[in-house]
Amino acid sequence: METTHILGLITGILFGFALHRAGFSRCTLVMRGLAFKDFTMLKVMLTAIAVGMVGAALLATFFPDHAHLKVKPLYVWGILAGGLIFGVGMAVAGYCPGTALVGLGGGVRDGILAVLGGLTGSFVFILAYPALEPVFIEPLNFGKVTLHELFGVGYLPVALVVAAMLIGIVLWLNRLEAKAQQARG
Amino acid sequence: MITLNRSQTSQEVSREVQAVAACPRLPNWLLWGGMIGLVQIFAIATVQPLGVSTAYPQLVGYLVDKIVPGFAESQPYLQKIGAKIGWEVMLIIGIALGALLSRLLQGRAATTADACEVPQPFRSGFARGLAAFVGGFLILFGARLAGGCTSGHMLSGIAQLAISGFLFGAAAFATGVLIASLLLRRANSQA
Repeated sequence: METTHILGLITGILFGFALHRAGFSRCTLVMRGLAFKDFTMLKVMLTAIAVGMVGAALLATFFPDHAHLKVKPLYVWGILAGGLIFGVGMAVAGYCPGTALVGLGGGVRDGILAVLGGLTGSFVFILAYPALEPVFIEPLNFGKVTLHELFGVGYLPVALVVAAMLIGIVLWLNRLEAKAQQARG
Repeated sequence: MITLNRSQTSQEVSREVQAVAACPRLPNWLLWGGMIGLVQIFAIATVQPLGVSTAYPQLVGYLVDKIVPGFAESQPYLQKIGAKIGWEVMLIIGIALGALLSRLLQGRAATTADACEVPQPFRSGFARGLAAFVGGFLILFGARLAGGCTSGHMLSGIAQLAISGFLFGAAAFATGVLIASLLLRRANSQA
């Protein structure tokens, strides 16, 4: 095994452990989260994004040699259509590609079935790609656009402001949930 | 395999999860949400931002190519992403192992905490299994069309302030919220 393989495995183990402890082996968390009946999913996601956002911007600003960033290109039709399909699947399965693996590792039958469905979906996508590429991926592709580049402002200040906004949303969700619990008695 | 107590509410389940969480002071979501953020920073500092969905077609391509030699070379998509066992595939193997490790360390409490409480339309085992499979199909097909999933486009994309990540998040939540609300509303009216 090369170093890259070992790093991938270590990263995965830490990621899977944290996702499992956050409760994502159960499809319920995503289903109720999407229906706004339980804010755990949103709170975990937004916290993780905010921490990663500040960390990535700090790395890029102070240790640019160690910031292996990878911004995905903005091809509007593919991302829009793919996102809409993804949302349906996430609500029906109660899993995303990562948490399905957490379900599998946790021994949950539905997680195993979602991973098998995912492998099948990937196989169909591989075969369909030549037909999909000219319609969804090539047109209306704006390349790797970021919020700070778009507005021509500094990376770190924007990251700090957006992360603060995300934490604000998390605290607000937390208060809503506490109030709802109080109301239920 | 998990045995599921249907009468148990998700609140009871999440309280159990919280009870077995390692740290008594921090709320569960803050502790593990923060941890995922730190894992992200580790990933960026070492190789690349977290991203799960690329590994699925890479693994499929690698396995199918073993059975049907030349398959990977004949498919433009596999030429683009590589039908290989690299950082991405090791990451998804690690995710499953990490979940297994967490469950083993939790001991007996994990049995009910892991159970998949589901809305009414899926209460029969077969319907729920089919929904999990079809849902799994859709999340990977959608993620590959969009070029990323919850981790690649949201945890990583939005964290890098990528416009593509914000667009994917908005699209996924639009249908996700709609379908989940319909399913759970039907669940309540039948309960």
